[in-house]
Amino acid sequence: MGTTTHIAEGIGSATLHGLRSVGANARFVGETVSAVRDVRTWPGQVATQAWRLGVASLPLATFIALFTGIVLALLASYSFTGAVPLYFVGTLVEKTITLELAPVLTGLALAGRVGANIAAELGTMRVTEQIDALETLGYDPTSFLVLPRVIAGVIMFPVVVAASMLVAVAAGWLASVMLLHLSSPEFTKGVRLFFEAFDVEYGLVKSASFGLAVTLAGSVCGLKTSGGAVGVGRAATSAVVYSAILILVLDAMWAITWLLGRGNGR
Amino acid sequence: MKHTKDALVGLVVLGVIVATIGAVAWAKQADIGSRRHDVYARFHDVGNARVGNAVVIRGVVGGRIEAIELAPAGWVNVKMKLDPSVQLPNDPVVLLNESSLFGDWQATVVERGALPQDAAVQREVREAAHGGDVIPGVSLPGIGKLTAVAGQIAGDVANVASRFGTSFDDQAARELRATIRNVADLSTTLRTVARDHASDLDTLSNQLRAAVLTMNRTAGSVELTARRLDSAVTSDEIAQLVENFSVASSELRRTTVQVRELTSRLAATQAKADVFLSTSDSVLAKINHGQGSLGLFVNDPGLYRRADSLFAELKALAADIRANPKKYVSIRLF
Repeated sequence: MGTTTHIAEGIGSATLHGLRSVGANARFVGETVSAVRDVRTWPGQVATQAWRLGVASLPLATFIALFTGIVLALLASYSFTGAVPLYFVGTLVEKTITLELAPVLTGLALAGRVGANIAAELGTMRVTEQIDALETLGYDPTSFLVLPRVIAGVIMFPVVVAASMLVAVAAGWLASVMLLHLSSPEFTKGVRLFFEAFDVEYGLVKSASFGLAVTLAGSVCGLKTSGGAVGVGRAATSAVVYSAILILVLDAMWAITWLLGRGNGR
Repeated sequence: MKHTKDALVGLVVLGVIVATIGAVAWAKQADIGSRRHDVYARFHDVGNARVGNAVVIRGVVGGRIEAIELAPAGWVNVKMKLDPSVQLPNDPVVLLNESSLFGDWQATVVERGALPQDAAVQREVREAAHGGDVIPGVSLPGIGKLTAVAGQIAGDVANVASRFGTSFDDQAARELRATIRNVADLSTTLRTVARDHASDLDTLSNQLRAAVLTMNRTAGSVELTARRLDSAVTSDEIAQLVENFSVASSELRRTTVQVRELTSRLAATQAKADVFLSTSDSVLAKINHGQGSLGLFVNDPGLYRRADSLFAELKALAADIRANPKKYVSIRLF
């Protein structure tokens, strides 16, 4: 009887905790959306955050894209041995990069860099009571700290991902020409063979959703920080984990709702 | 410092946007700034052709499919953008076909005379040819359609197999086993019958063998005779024989004609003889009845005797004349 009661208590506690978390996060998202109206506060911060979250992330993103493109071309040629014409290396590189690898790999990389950065920064501000000071001075922390980061993330993630796409396909091209002895016309034929603008559109929209998820997760984890430096570290870790999980869940959601629907509609 | 960052962010964003748009345009092979000319073709069905597929003329890519749209009366119009230097062949026809086994299609522009010798293709082109300036087109079956047909055939085979399986059930197997047993019994009976009549069959076989030997000998004799005849008669002799036969035949024909004429004359002679005989018959009847001088002469013995004595006197007179001619003949010259 006692064990059953404990199990029931555990389930109930977990359920209530989950519901509380969902409610708190939903309230946080609602406050963020409401903060859009505070146009005197957030526009001045967007460019700074865009620089820090986006432009400063370009080297990391392009580095990842460079090697992704090279490896993908080599893997494609390895898989296409014999039966499949080698110009399909271009097709596979273009499709895989634009639809999946550039958004997801860049998103995961930025989740570590940007999400942890936001969580650590806001967490530090929380534990050092800087946020309380802002509130005392009449600033809304959401419109001053969160919304600029969210807007910068939604705008700059697609920019960084687009740059990653270009670099990855170019790297695949170079690898195909230099390492696989594939001619440029053959590679471009493969790229153009099944290219659709939708591929790029899908990847960019998906990356915008990743930017929204990463910045929101980082902000939530940072603003909830407590317990000094340990709490800041825990918040940064939580932000990265939640961001990565959200990216993968969103990736699956977009594939099911948009990609699968489009494929069935053909 | 803040303005510098703002500018850098703006530049990066703009640069990435421009680069992305440029890359997409390049990948889509958009003809920005180039003047291509449009060509339209119409089809009953465009298969798996898509916007952006290559337009090939004599094996060279000369343009792209720009648009595919449904048209009235069951047609599909395809708009193609061709490079300015591309010239269409005379009486062009557009074929939509697969360019590889991997599903990519192309539009091939050919002369009508170079169309595949297929009745369905020719008919579709004829039907599509009445579209004014629109080029007639036809979609050739792709590997997918061929695979579908093969799949249909496989389905039919599976149906036949399942029907065979349905008809050949346990009952059929039992009946087949019973049939096999019956055949075995029949075979045993036949063997018994054959054993019982083996001696008769041997006799019959011997007789047959003797008959065959006789026939063989006869055949040998015939062959020998034929060989002799063949060796005795040369081709010249045969020719002479044939010629003789020909001559004999012609003479026989002539003789036949003569016989036929003779027969007709004989018939006339017979008619005359009939008339003569009937006349003679009436004359003899009159003579028998003692009518006329001859009848009197034949039937009167006194007359015969007088005539006979007359002949005797005439004979004596002739002898006397030969003995004494001067007594009866006197010839004087002067």
